[in-house]
Amino acid sequence: MTHRDRFEAVYDAYYPAIHQYAARRTSSPDDTADVISETFLTAWRRIGDVPEGERALLWLYGVARRVLANQQRGASRRAGLAERLRDELAADRPVRPVDLEYVRAAFDELPERDREVMALAHWEGLSSEQIAKVLGCTAVAARTRLHRARKRLAAALERQTSMTIAMGEA
Amino acid sequence: MSDIDHLMRAIDPTPHAPEQGPGARELRAAIMATPAPGRRRSWLPQRGTFGPRWPVLASAVTAAAVAVAIGVGLPASGPATEYANAAVSIKKAEDYFSVTITDPAADRRRFEEAFRAVGLNVTVKVVPVAPDEVGELLGPVVPEGFKWHGSIGTQRVTPCASAFCGKVWMPSDFPGRVVFGVGRPAKPGEPYAEDVAFDPEGEEAMAGYTAHGKTVAAVRAEARRRGLKVGYRLLWNSPDGGFSDQPVPADRIKDDWTVSGSRDHSSDTVDLYVLPGPGAGPAPDPLKARTPQWYDDLTD
Repeated sequence: MTHRDRFEAVYDAYYPAIHQYAARRTSSPDDTADVISETFLTAWRRIGDVPEGERALLWLYGVARRVLANQQRGASRRAGLAERLRDELAADRPVRPVDLEYVRAAFDELPERDREVMALAHWEGLSSEQIAKVLGCTAVAARTRLHRARKRLAAALERQTSMTIAMGEA
Repeated sequence: MSDIDHLMRAIDPTPHAPEQGPGARELRAAIMATPAPGRRRSWLPQRGTFGPRWPVLASAVTAAAVAVAIGVGLPASGPATEYANAAVSIKKAEDYFSVTITDPAADRRRFEEAFRAVGLNVTVKVVPVAPDEVGELLGPVVPEGFKWHGSIGTQRVTPCASAFCGKVWMPSDFPGRVVFGVGRPAKPGEPYAEDVAFDPEGEEAMAGYTAHGKTVAAVRAEARRRGLKVGYRLLWNSPDGGFSDQPVPADRIKDDWTVSGSRDHSSDTVDLYVLPGPGAGPAPDPLKARTPQWYDDLTD
C-alpha cells in the first residue's frame, strides 16, 4: 500500500469521527474546519507514523487535541486547504437543546482537564485505556481522572439544580 | 448506565457523525496535493528516493542575461500561457500551472517576473535551505489568510530533471498577498529557512542516532562527536497539550534536561529541542516569543 492509499484509507475511515471531535470542541465552523484540516494535514505529513487499525483513530484524536491547543496552528489555513469545507460547515451548525442548559452549565463549570476526559469517555465513547492513549498518560491515571471528573460533575449538577430551584422560588 | 452518563450523552453538541460532503473530499485532495513529508521526517523515504534530481545551477548574471530572450507568448491582452527565463519556466494547464525551477539561486525578481507573466501576482523570496532541499518551492503562504474561491497549493512532480518540478494552483484573481519561497543552497553556517513547525512527536537530525528522550549532555556529546555545533530551543508544552518553541542561549539549558528531538539548523549546527526542566522559568507568551519565519521579511 502506498502512502497515498494509506492516507486515503485513514481519511475516509476517520473523517466523520474527527469532524465530530472538532465540532464538539469549537465554537465556529471556521475553527472546526481548521482543526479537521490541520489534523489530517499532520496525518498526511506523518503517514508513516499513523498506527494500524483502531489505534489510528486514537492517534488522530491525539493530534486533533494538540491542534486545538496549539497556538501555532495555521499551516493548512495559510494554504487555504479547507475553504469549501468552511462554507459547508457554516450551513450546518447543530442546535443545543434548551432544557439541558443546566447540565451544560454544570459541565462548563468543570476544570478543562475534567471536561476533556468526560467528553472523550461519553461523546467519543472511549474506555480509560483508550483515553490514556489520546492523552499520553497511563490507563490508571486516565481512570482516576475520569472518576474524579464524574464526582465533580455530579457535585456541579447538584449545585445547578439547587440554584435552579432557588431561582424558581424567588 | 447512570444519570451522569445519560446527561453527558444528552449534551453532546454533535451527536451524529457527519457525512463526507464535497468540502471534505476537496480537503482530502488539497491535503494530498501538498508536498509529501520531507527530509526531516525520518519515517518516510528521503526525497531522493522518489526520483533523481539534478540541480542545474547557473549564476545570477547568466540568468539575468537570458531572461528576456526566451520569454515567450506574451500577448498584448491578458497574461501569457507560458513563460520561461533562465531561472524558471511556467506553463498554464487547464486548472494549474506547471512550474520548473532550473536555477534556485537566481534573483527573486526572475521568479516573480515569470509568475506575473502568467497572471499570478505573487512575491517570491529565495531562502537558504539544506542541500537536499535546494530548488524546493516553499509555501504558498498567505500571510493575511486565504478567503477566496477555489484553493491554493503546490504539488511536487517526479521524476524531475531540474531542481524542482511541480504544479501550482491558485485563483488568478486572488487579491491578497501570496508568498512562495525558492530554496537556494545555504552558505556554510547560514541558518536554513524553516518551512514546517517542529514536530514534538519526534524529529531527528543526526542519522542513525535518536536524540529523543536522552539528556542534553548526551545528545550534545554526540553532536560534537560528529563535529556539529549545538543550538537550543525550549519546547514549551502548555497544560492543555499545545506547544511552542523558543530559541534560547546555552546558559538557559541544564545538562540533565531531556531532549525531545533535533533538527538541522545549518551546515555546521544542530538545534536541540529541549523540554524545560526545573528552573526553566515560566513559558513565554507564544505570540510575543514567536520564532521568526522565512516569509516575515520580504525585502532583499
